[in-house]
Amino acid sequence: MHALIIDDSRTMRSILKRIVHELGFETTEAANGQEALDVLEAGLQADLCLIDWNMPLMDGYTFVTRVRADQRWRNLTLMMVTTESEHSQIVRALAAGAHEYVIKPFTAEAIVEKLELLGLHAKEVPA
Amino acid sequence: MITVDQPAVQDVYSVVEEVWNTFLGDGVPILPGARDLPDDAWYSAITVTGEWEALILIAMPLALAGRITTTMLGLPEDDECSTEDLTDALGELVNIVGGNIKSLMPGPSTLSLPLVAQGAVTTTSDLVEVCEVGVVWHDEPVLITISVPKLAGGAS
Repeated sequence: MHALIIDDSRTMRSILKRIVHELGFETTEAANGQEALDVLEAGLQADLCLIDWNMPLMDGYTFVTRVRADQRWRNLTLMMVTTESEHSQIVRALAAGAHEYVIKPFTAEAIVEKLELLGLHAKEVPA
Repeated sequence: MITVDQPAVQDVYSVVEEVWNTFLGDGVPILPGARDLPDDAWYSAITVTGEWEALILIAMPLALAGRITTTMLGLPEDDECSTEDLTDALGELVNIVGGNIKSLMPGPSTLSLPLVAQGAVTTTSDLVEVCEVGVVWHDEPVLITISVPKLAGGAS
């Protein structure tokens, strides 16, 4: 399985990469929504996108709407991973087509739990 | 009607404690306590605009900023991190702390992208500091301050 990690912070990409690597995912990184779209357009076969909300050039919400508007990526699972914790923002993201929503700060277990709910869990996280 | 326009110190402390324990948890607890920062401290800032408006600042000495950066990036403790890494890690830290503080306040409001710099930060004269939380981690000080526009803070 392959995860596309979309966050303008290299630090956050690194944290998420460590977590999903432990679960057996290969990863590709993108620093904003536009870069992520470019990677998908170039043919990356991703199963999962982990998406920050606030990013320069293209934010996570716009990325979700763009992906959901394109049938080529209808099987792609979209998970927001963001500090945006207002109820209205969560509702907006889910209505736009995000499957799950994780609020920072998160534990590795929280990510695993969400991936299990989405049927994307490959391996157990070491204690 | 009571208008709440500043978070409680204890709530801010709880946010900081949760962020530290989740992303920086190495068995060393953060402790409450205010100490002076060195002149070359690093500052990370984020602004909130909308229903609640504020400037949230986190300041800490360089050594601690380096420790936080290597921890968040999963690098060996004695690795020297680049200024770029440090800027990125401190920016993400204030983004997470700021986002969680924002969630305590009336919304909707929006977070800016973070700004990170070394050296004392002077806020504009139309802001007033309404909350200050000092903590100590690895025997080094961290100072979190929240400033709001004077009218919202009720100050003259």
